[in-house]
Amino acid sequence: MENKTFPATLDSLDDLRDLVREKALLAHLDKKKTYNLMLALDEIATNIILYGYEQAGKEGVLDVITDLSDRQLTIVVEDDAAPFDPLQRDLPDEDDFSKPLEERPIGGMGIFLTINGVDEFRYEYTHNRNRNIFIMNVPATEA
Amino acid sequence: MSFHILAEAKKIAKITLAGELDSLSAREFQREIEKVAAEGPDELVLFVENLTFISSAGLRVLIFAKQKIGTNLAIYIVQPQENIVDTLEKTGLQHSVNIVDKYM
Repeated sequence: MENKTFPATLDSLDDLRDLVREKALLAHLDKKKTYNLMLALDEIATNIILYGYEQAGKEGVLDVITDLSDRQLTIVVEDDAAPFDPLQRDLPDEDDFSKPLEERPIGGMGIFLTINGVDEFRYEYTHNRNRNIFIMNVPATEA
Repeated sequence: MSFHILAEAKKIAKITLAGELDSLSAREFQREIEKVAAEGPDELVLFVENLTFISSAGLRVLIFAKQKIGTNLAIYIVQPQENIVDTLEKTGLQHSVNIVDKYM
């Protein structure tokens, strides 16, 4: 298990994506899975930074905990912003996505991409912290 | 019968995007779109061969472009990398833009 702390500002997104790339490489995730995981983290971190902290006029950090087992790569993003469960948000569906651009709802795309990009996404609120949990199954290594 | 001719040149805005387009860089992209929107282009051509990442913030700028410039705006995305095409497809944006290998 490893813990890294990032300031909750948009400048951190770059470093956060680098961290994901590094862990995905260790977990032998393929290019597509790596990209999808990176995108998922970027989307959720963006929401936390913009809405949890900036819009609320708060400063803070994101703690990123990574854990790699034989089977799974787990990345947890913890923050001290107000409780926000991304899974409770109304997500756009096929219908919305087939509408012409000018009629589309503009929100929810990031969370949609997050949930669709990882093998498992969970949210919990514990010890006064939001915990967004991203899990990718690790490909079986040949013996 | 007299001869009439009417020529009208298409207004084309061209933007090259390279690197990673996240919610920080999307702000810069949006400012650029606002600038070209003032010219009222008919076509927006995005050269993205070296764009390696796009988040929903970047996608929202595309939607913004269409909403700001008008529904008749044709958006061309030239030579996107596979992961980017994937994201455009997942979000249904490929129906509203033209993904091309080459802009003629």
